[in-house]
Amino acid sequence: MLKAFIKLTAAAIAIILLSAIFLARNITSGFGTMAERNGDWETNISTGSQDAGVMLKAAVALGGLLASTQENSMYYRLSAVAGEPLRLNCRYKIEGKEYNADWWSITAYGWDNYLIPNAQKRYSFNNQNLIRNADGSWIITVAATEQPGNWLPVGSSGASHWRQFSHHDFDLLLRLYTPGVAYIRSPQSAPLPSVTRESCQ
Amino acid sequence: MKLVRWLIVIGVCAWAGQYALALVLPNLVMETVYALRGKSIGYNQFVVNRIPDEASRSIVRPSPDLLYAACLYDLKDGPLAIETPIPERYWSLQFYQMNTDNYAGVTNQRAEKYRVGSTMKMTLISRDDDPANYRGTVIQSPTERGIALLRASAIGDRSAQQAALDASRCGPIDKVAGR
Repeated sequence: MLKAFIKLTAAAIAIILLSAIFLARNITSGFGTMAERNGDWETNISTGSQDAGVMLKAAVALGGLLASTQENSMYYRLSAVAGEPLRLNCRYKIEGKEYNADWWSITAYGWDNYLIPNAQKRYSFNNQNLIRNADGSWIITVAATEQPGNWLPVGSSGASHWRQFSHHDFDLLLRLYTPGVAYIRSPQSAPLPSVTRESCQ
Repeated sequence: MKLVRWLIVIGVCAWAGQYALALVLPNLVMETVYALRGKSIGYNQFVVNRIPDEASRSIVRPSPDLLYAACLYDLKDGPLAIETPIPERYWSLQFYQMNTDNYAGVTNQRAEKYRVGSTMKMTLISRDDDPANYRGTVIQSPTERGIALLRASAIGDRSAQQAALDASRCGPIDKVAGR
């Protein structure tokens, strides 16, 4: 009797631990299979809404608490370029122009979902503080070392490294506030900045 | 053979169990944030946060381009009044229930641009209350507790946006000015 009880208790503990691991793997990969993909960017039009599925709500609770619904803002996240997770030892180029939203910004977050500590105290660029070319286009360079022009610094996240479940070291979040209808109706084809990996050390 | 059967049962249960955990996780996270933030900033009042930076670690993914003010509300003692001046440039007031759903919101953008320069006055009531009992804008919260979150642009000169958030009120109807 005691043996059976110990077996059942051990099985229950194993189930709970494994469930937590499955869930962590599922939701720390971002929106994962729940996402609408637009190039390397991914979004989910149900973010924040009452229609969101169980896994999306869990992912938002951990990685985007108090996110708004798409009428107020849309969030596109990028954690890999051409399948390669974003790394601190690589340099990335974001190229873009103007987008149909009341305002937009691109922010770098550590794998722990918080702003990345850096001496410049620069965490994002928005549609008003970018250095632009004459035709309105712009380039942001994302790197851990100083770069000319619009440099978005990245570095180690503030949390302890042993807690890192994700494959990427950091990710980029494009926020479009009060987005145009193209983003709401066709999030997978609406115009977005392009991100390329330039080099790695 | 018996061990293999046990492992299969544990694996299948764990696979299904992740959905059960996912179901309770939003409420668990929201309850934790509500309790921890409530201890430091209190309830039924707007508290304006400083502009987020790397030290801002109470809510994930804060925007460094926004000013935030949060009111952790509790309707157990009755409805609350909310009054907030609406500045130029981006501003929004969003309401979240305890499972993280963004169940209502207003903004000053696009079709709602006419709100700029006015003061938004609304009453926040519980789901058991009848909206017909109140005048003006009424927001009915699906849960007794939740979070009302003000966002305003922090890009460039933000003095008007900061002043609007500083002047925002959330509290019992008889205690909020002008009601």
